[in-house]
Amino acid sequence: MKNIIIVLIVLFTFLACEKEITIDVPPGKFQYVVEASINNRFPLLNYVFISTTIDYFKPDLSLNGIKNAEVYITPGVIIGNDTIYNKADKVRLYSVDSLSKIIPELDSMVSSFSGVYMNPFELIGNVNTPYKLDILLNNGATAITAKTFIPRTANIDSIVYQIEPNEDNDTFGKAFTKFWFVDGPEKNNYRLAVNVSSDSILYGWGACKFYQTFDDEFANNGNRPFDFFSPFNQGDTLNLYLSHIGRKEFLFWESFENAENNVGPFATPGNVKSNVSGAIGSFTGYAVDYKQIILK
Amino acid sequence: MIKYYSITFILFLVFSTAFTQTKFTMSGELRDSSNGETLIGAVVKIIETNKAISTNTYGYFALTLPSGNYTVQITYLGFQTKILKVNLDKDTKLNVKLSQKSITGKEVVIKGEREDKNVKSTEMSTVELSGEKVKQLPVIFGEPDILKAITLLPGIKSGGEGGTGFYVRGGGPDQNLILMDEAVVYNPSHLFGFLSVFNTDAVKNLEVIKGGMPANYGGRLSSILNVSMREGNNQKYEFNGGIGLIASRFSAEGPMKKGKSSFLIAARRTYIDVLAQPFLPKSAQGNAYYFYDINLKLNWQLGPKDKLYFSGYFGRDILDFISPTNKSVNLNFGWGNATATLRWNHIFKPKLFSNTSLIYNRYDLFNDFKFGASGFSVRSGLYDWNLKSDFIWFAADKHLVKFGFNYIFHTFTPGIASGALGTIKIDEEISKQYAHEFAIYAQDEWQISQRWSVNAGLRAVAFNRVGPYTQEIFDNNNQKTGESIKYGANESIAFYPRLEPRLNVNYLINEESSIKASYTKTYQFVHLATTSGAQFPVDLWVPSSAKVKPQEANQVALGYFRNFKNNRYEASAEAYYKVMDNQIEFKPFSQLFFNANLENEMVFGQGKAYGLELFLKKKVGRLNGWIGYTWSRAYRQFDQLNNGEAYFFRYDRTHDMSLVLSYTFNKKWTGTFVFVYGTGNAVTLPNSRYPYRIGYDPQTNEPKFTFIDVYDKINSYRLPSYHRADLSFVYTHKKTKNWESNWNFSIYNIYNRANPYFIYFLPDLDKLEVKAYMVYLFPILPSVAWNFKF
Repeated sequence: MKNIIIVLIVLFTFLACEKEITIDVPPGKFQYVVEASINNRFPLLNYVFISTTIDYFKPDLSLNGIKNAEVYITPGVIIGNDTIYNKADKVRLYSVDSLSKIIPELDSMVSSFSGVYMNPFELIGNVNTPYKLDILLNNGATAITAKTFIPRTANIDSIVYQIEPNEDNDTFGKAFTKFWFVDGPEKNNYRLAVNVSSDSILYGWGACKFYQTFDDEFANNGNRPFDFFSPFNQGDTLNLYLSHIGRKEFLFWESFENAENNVGPFATPGNVKSNVSGAIGSFTGYAVDYKQIILK
Repeated sequence: MIKYYSITFILFLVFSTAFTQTKFTMSGELRDSSNGETLIGAVVKIIETNKAISTNTYGYFALTLPSGNYTVQITYLGFQTKILKVNLDKDTKLNVKLSQKSITGKEVVIKGEREDKNVKSTEMSTVELSGEKVKQLPVIFGEPDILKAITLLPGIKSGGEGGTGFYVRGGGPDQNLILMDEAVVYNPSHLFGFLSVFNTDAVKNLEVIKGGMPANYGGRLSSILNVSMREGNNQKYEFNGGIGLIASRFSAEGPMKKGKSSFLIAARRTYIDVLAQPFLPKSAQGNAYYFYDINLKLNWQLGPKDKLYFSGYFGRDILDFISPTNKSVNLNFGWGNATATLRWNHIFKPKLFSNTSLIYNRYDLFNDFKFGASGFSVRSGLYDWNLKSDFIWFAADKHLVKFGFNYIFHTFTPGIASGALGTIKIDEEISKQYAHEFAIYAQDEWQISQRWSVNAGLRAVAFNRVGPYTQEIFDNNNQKTGESIKYGANESIAFYPRLEPRLNVNYLINEESSIKASYTKTYQFVHLATTSGAQFPVDLWVPSSAKVKPQEANQVALGYFRNFKNNRYEASAEAYYKVMDNQIEFKPFSQLFFNANLENEMVFGQGKAYGLELFLKKKVGRLNGWIGYTWSRAYRQFDQLNNGEAYFFRYDRTHDMSLVLSYTFNKKWTGTFVFVYGTGNAVTLPNSRYPYRIGYDPQTNEPKFTFIDVYDKINSYRLPSYHRADLSFVYTHKKTKNWESNWNFSIYNIYNRANPYFIYFLPDLDKLEVKAYMVYLFPILPSVAWNFKF
């Protein structure tokens, strides 16, 4: 379907014209938004971003991050069919403003991302573990909660690439790349993030250049390839973050990607699914496998 | 209950006809003398009794009268009237050929219509167009199109700019039953909806029934589009063709045995793929899109009482796509319809005419996707075997009874995938779905008195979804549990018996005006899975099941019909009110393609539509044409959508107007002007957004994030109104004995109106505001097409 949409958009690009119009749409209702993630490998990727919806027609560059929230993540223990969250295990996350004094790398992020909470010293996720998120706002008058689970770690097997000449660049060729990963017999949901950078540290999942959410519904249990349809440049340093995520989280990110690509004449208006109570957004547990390669 | 209704209805028919004295029957067939084509809807009138009857779809008529001498007048618009003296002292057969009127200025008429049908028949909410008229209308890309043409008629709305989708009285695109010589066409579009699958060279006539549906039709809620293919010239060989900007067509027809049997074969292909190649950048070379279709019609007069027809259609759209950035990524995508109809007309007695049809139709979609060493193919579609028999019993002087049955065996193939992803072999099939759909009907068109006539009918339908079927069980997160329910062959999964009463009443005020009312109940057992207003090739048809109940509609209509100046002008005002249950919508971002849990994506609700349609038509003269205006409202209500509140249907259009004017300047030049106006479509726009998937790029010191839109009320915003004027001129060369040709010069959108296709938004960060941009598809667009015949 996506391929057809691409072809149609190309077709319309040839035919269509456009003009600016004035429209009057009333503002939507105010909602809190939560982007929370926890993983088993990168402490800086365990963060919670709290913001609010913004009037569509009055863009606000400040991103509306919410300060002065109390944010806690509690690991759980599964006993039979029950999950127990022990208050004693609860870890408080702090605003990035205060953490930047301790972690200089975060300093430049402060102005952009007020409303981001983290605790890289105390919080690291473990696989096969449930987690609970509690956010208190307005001096405890507003409570937002969410739960997630970090599954078993994904398994990147190998990365292969082939350099071919680039007609537009004599120095660097095109690197046609694929990687192989091992899909187990159980049902797995994947989230792939790819960054092109010599630095393996990610400051937020949004720093990556490519994302894909997929499952193993049609091709289960085996050594699977993932082909990048567009080539990278020779010399790029590729950072692959392949994660197993839970099903609810998968449904959130799948709808997120649909919303992100929902443009053009056949766009279907729809809201992204949510697995957060008291706000919209997601709390996602990532069981990350990571590999870096330089495409020489 | 069904039994009770059926017995009552049959008794009603028997008793109401038993006391009518019948003597002899006059019956026969009316044909065009020039090519032997049967004439549909021609009027046979007995002057002495003022009784009249129309020929049916096969050009057949029958009248029962006391013995005596009669003057029979045969009229058909555009043809010379014939008057015959008949001494009816036995059953008499009248096979009559009518000659077309020559075009001499004031005598110009729209061909192929019964002059007073508008007033005198019980039929309402029905509009017709001839294939010939469609060819006169302005065209886009030089390609005449019947689906675009019918949207110029009142109550039938176009889905959008340039598209072939149509919406009738608040109904969805899947609620129109589209028939080509009785075969269902599940996807009537080529070129992603910009052209229809109907080649006008092969089309004789089309009829759209918007309400007051006779009992012989069923299966869809909103309308019937009945397209009749031409039979082919049974007098001489003829070749037709046309060359347009993006496609050309050619047809051949002629007698297999002169006057007894004929054939017609028509083919069409687009050459977008060839024309586009020189303009494609090097990176896009190898990409191609094209479509083609072939129509075939054969007919044989087997004897005085038997006639056999074969109609076939085969069409394909093909898209070859090679990624410009990675040549190993290749998509070969195609879809198309195939239909075959074998029909047998048999006259048991002059008063009893029958048609039995065996029909096969299929729609399939294939998608071959290759990337590197991996690749897979996905197939989906459906096919039907359809057996139907219709009987027309010219029962008595005042009764025309129709009855029959229809049995369809549906096979739905939601998806078959095969291929390999690395070491994993893909061999998946979503369980096929089978269903029996059965209908039996009877109706009586009863001329109660000079003023009152009634067409009462009852259609009993039953839909039985059966096995073999494996229903996979999914959890709340839409993931397979590994469990399934298996149904054996022919084991019933869901069974829906239903009754569909139909009633049309006509009160003739005088010879020129009448009041009509109708009630129609319809059920629909197959549904289109689509998330877009446009019909995509990947959209699937799904059958009713235990969860997906049949869609249901009740419609009433009331109309005033008036003809003026000896039927030269025809006018009508019709109001309708329609309620619909078990309407289906899909959740946002539903995965329709290869989804074994498709029903989980559906939500169910109600619909309501009402409106007033006004129509004025001038049928005769140098200047002819029509103006239609519709005021209407259409709503939907779903508990799970829009907070349970009712909202405007996407194609709710408060005002809809179309004007079509044709003027014959002389024997060579004809001009046609079209103007359309419609309230803008109801759309859903975002009213807030939020930043998400945040990140920070240390190399550029910039934040990275994506804005996600939030939508509140469904279809609460109106796109700007749609209006457009088109103009065409047809220049006809002087006919010679063996050669005819004409040029169609069209200008689409002559005043270059920017009509909304869709809206998108871009933030202006300097001014801290978001600007709206409207994309419009076709500016002023001239085109030319050359048509020939020899």
